[in-house]
Amino acid sequence: MLVRLAFLAALLLDAAAAQAANVNVVFTDAAGHALTDAVVMLEPVGAPLPVKPMAGAQIAQKDLQFNPPVTVVTVGTPVLFPNQDTVKHHVYSYSPAKTFQIKLYAGVPHTPIVFDKPGVAVLGCNIHDSMIAWVVVTDTPLWARSAATGHAQVADVPPGNYQMHVWHASLAETTPPQLLPLTVAAGDVEQRVKLGPGGMAK
Amino acid sequence: MISLDRPWRKSLGARIIGLFLALLLAVQLVSFASLRISLSRHAHSELPARLVEGEQLLQTLLDRRVHAVSDIAAVTAADFGFRTTLFEGDENTTVSALDNLRRRVGATEVGYLGLDGTVLHRASAGNAPDIAPVIAHLKSQNPTSGSASEIALVGGQPYQAVLVPLKAPRLIGWILIAFPLDDTLKSDMKRLSGLDLTLLSRATGREPWAVSMTALDRSSANDLAENAWGVGAAGTTMVSVPAQGDELGVHAVPLGADRSLSAGVLALISLSVGDAVRLPSDLQWTLVLIALAAIGVFAVGCVLTARRVTTPLRGLADAAERLGAGDYATPMRGLTREDEIGALSQSFERMRTNIAENQAQVLRLAYWDSLTGLPNRARFREAVGVAMRDATDAKLADGTEGSVAVIMLDLNRFKHVNDVLGYSVGDQVLVGIAERLGRALAREGDVVARLSGDEFGILLRHADAQQAQAVALRIEQALEQALVIGEHRVDMGAGIGIACWPQHAEDDDALLVRAEMAMYAAKRRNNGPVTYDPAIDATSAQTLTLISELRQAVERHELRLYLQPKLALEDSRVVGAEALVRWQHPTRGLVPPVQFIPFAEQTGFIRHLTMWVFEEAARHWLSLADEGLQLRLSVNLSTRDLLDMDLPQKFGALLARHGVPAAAFCLEITESAIMDDPQRALATLDALSAMGFKLSIDDFGTGYSSLAYLKRLPVDELKIDQSFVRNMQSDRDDEMIVRSTIDLAHNLGIVVVAEGVETAEAWNLLRDLKCDQAQGYHMGRPMPVGEFSAWSTSWGMRRTAGDTDGVHLLH
Repeated sequence: MLVRLAFLAALLLDAAAAQAANVNVVFTDAAGHALTDAVVMLEPVGAPLPVKPMAGAQIAQKDLQFNPPVTVVTVGTPVLFPNQDTVKHHVYSYSPAKTFQIKLYAGVPHTPIVFDKPGVAVLGCNIHDSMIAWVVVTDTPLWARSAATGHAQVADVPPGNYQMHVWHASLAETTPPQLLPLTVAAGDVEQRVKLGPGGMAK
Repeated sequence: MISLDRPWRKSLGARIIGLFLALLLAVQLVSFASLRISLSRHAHSELPARLVEGEQLLQTLLDRRVHAVSDIAAVTAADFGFRTTLFEGDENTTVSALDNLRRRVGATEVGYLGLDGTVLHRASAGNAPDIAPVIAHLKSQNPTSGSASEIALVGGQPYQAVLVPLKAPRLIGWILIAFPLDDTLKSDMKRLSGLDLTLLSRATGREPWAVSMTALDRSSANDLAENAWGVGAAGTTMVSVPAQGDELGVHAVPLGADRSLSAGVLALISLSVGDAVRLPSDLQWTLVLIALAAIGVFAVGCVLTARRVTTPLRGLADAAERLGAGDYATPMRGLTREDEIGALSQSFERMRTNIAENQAQVLRLAYWDSLTGLPNRARFREAVGVAMRDATDAKLADGTEGSVAVIMLDLNRFKHVNDVLGYSVGDQVLVGIAERLGRALAREGDVVARLSGDEFGILLRHADAQQAQAVALRIEQALEQALVIGEHRVDMGAGIGIACWPQHAEDDDALLVRAEMAMYAAKRRNNGPVTYDPAIDATSAQTLTLISELRQAVERHELRLYLQPKLALEDSRVVGAEALVRWQHPTRGLVPPVQFIPFAEQTGFIRHLTMWVFEEAARHWLSLADEGLQLRLSVNLSTRDLLDMDLPQKFGALLARHGVPAAAFCLEITESAIMDDPQRALATLDALSAMGFKLSIDDFGTGYSSLAYLKRLPVDELKIDQSFVRNMQSDRDDEMIVRSTIDLAHNLGIVVVAEGVETAEAWNLLRDLKCDQAQGYHMGRPMPVGEFSAWSTSWGMRRTAGDTDGVHLLH
């Protein structure tokens, strides 16, 4: 699925590919350790880039954990919540990005949850307080997620001015969106982002 | 316990009790005071610590409230339904859910806050005061996951506010719960720690502190509020603040965010220093009760102890009084005690027994004669008195006429025994006599006593004069047998006198005196026991009368001289006459000599009588000589005459006056007269003999004249006592005595005269025995002088007319 998305994106950006550059972001925490599952989103200043919902995503519940804990989807992407545990779960979210609940269920619910607003939805299980998952709903196609090394690459970014929006689960709920102006010209952009609960550190 | 008749302060017991109670009181006062002081010090030193503990308690109470509220709120916030309501419910439903929570936790304000602190929904109990400052304070604590609490002013009132995170599952907002600090806080403080909580508050540093809540009275709290609570007060543990006359120890605790004490809420934990220092009233009462109980117990103990001391002391004092009063018989008490009192009692007891022994000894000495073991005169007198009283009582009881007889006995010539044989023998004689007297008495209750040297008394109860006479005769017989003392045989005669009560005397003294008189009379008469008769009593009224009459008799010439002839046995010739005095009383007639001679001897009047007789004899000798009768006249001398050293001179003068020769007179002396004072008597007799008087021993044989005396005396004549002469014909012993006496006298060249010749047989016997002269009724009774010459003439005619047998001549 992700392969297909990347392929699709590559097709979309193909026009500007000649001038396009890569934005490489290295995420670390306050102590300098690599941050996994940090998300970088590039929002163009001015007209937004067209974005299509992804074909679907899936957040499984296995071993009383959401898997994966962090999922990035574009706006309008339906997400399925297959329950692979033997116990039932009651998945909910009161986040403004998406408020929903799937009351006690087992197996794969018939209806996926469509995340139709950009933002971060925090998912929980009403039965198991320790279960938590985040769904980052983005309205830009220019986004990436850091690997275990803390590296995230947004490839083929057309030159222009952007708001670089970074997010990580360790950010406190009260922390406002972490935005950073970014200008992409010819050549790759290297960006290091140190994130604590209170936000980016310079 | 303490006898009332003596002042209590003088009582030893009271002093002991008083002293110990005073000491106890002093000790208790001191301990009470020191307890107070140490408690006060302790309280002072404990005060800050207590106040700091109070702060901890306050904090605990506040935290407990917060915890209770936040726990409930946290549970509620985690409730899915609640969360659903908050996110999905309409406005009214959301507010009602909040209000429900508010009621559940007992708060006045509950709000739902967004992540940025804005109040999204709110439920209020009242008029919804501004809670923004509280939220600001809470947010400033930067809570993320845990809850936060804060004390702050809300609408001017101190509120406690709690901020509880709302998670779904991550933080999505806050629940604010606020409630005013109410009175339960101060009452809990008071209840749990005894400390007073006062909350002051002000919005800004420029305003004065206002009292929001207090456990004190309002005015004290105002005084506290007026204290300048500055920055410095927050660090100190205790500040002393005067409030309404009391001193309060105050510990200031800033509550809420503003720790600088410039504004906000200030908790004052206070304690009255006075109350803390003061002994708790129940403790005071307990101490007082303990003190009273101790005093009570102590008093009882003291009283018992004092009684243990003073009661025996009083007993000893009483015992001493008893000893002083002469009661030596009652033994001491408390002798078994082992303490000092016991020792004292034992000393008293020893003293008592010693005194009793001494007293008994004194009594023995006072009442008993140590030599013979007989009662002495004092004891005897008592016994006599008792016997008389008993008799009196008996008479009063049943009318029986009781009588008491006293026999008094004086040994003859005991002085002589002492002089010759020594005092040791004399003492043994007395003991022997005492034994015999005791044996002579058969009756119970009769008493023998030694009255003085050789004088004994015998008390006969219920005895009249006749019975007493019988006893006296028995005694006389008992004394007749010679006492054998070692190698000595001692013959002891005695004069025995008898007097009876009430016949002879009215009281015991008089009875003894009269018995003594009778005794002396008996000694004089030498003729057995004599019963008292007023005649022998120189002091009796009868005797006194008799003496004055006798005196008058001399003056009135009532006395008559009688002569009894003395005849030579050889030839019946009248060789002399004994001059005797008779009293021709004008009314009583001729008074017998026995009625006046004894008391004349006793009173000394006998000397006048002797002189009268001697003068009359001298006168009549001359007249008889004129008539041709050459007679030697015998004149009796008494003891008193012999003791009169002037007697020879008086006789000499009289002889000279009348012109008669001394050889014309024979002076007759009884043995006893000489023995009373042999030396003086001898001197007188020597003088008289030297003057030419003839001397004669009268009543020879009745006394105990020793031959040695007889040899020393210038005696010319012996007159054998008539008792021998009367009995010599029937009693061979008497005849032997007469015969021996005659032989003895003749061997010494002494003329022998027999008295009491009453029969011709006696006359003849005496003549056969070669007795020289005889005197008696057989020849001639005492006759008036005037008749004597006539009798002499007729006797001479009968003699010359008759034969030589004088016996026949006489009838």
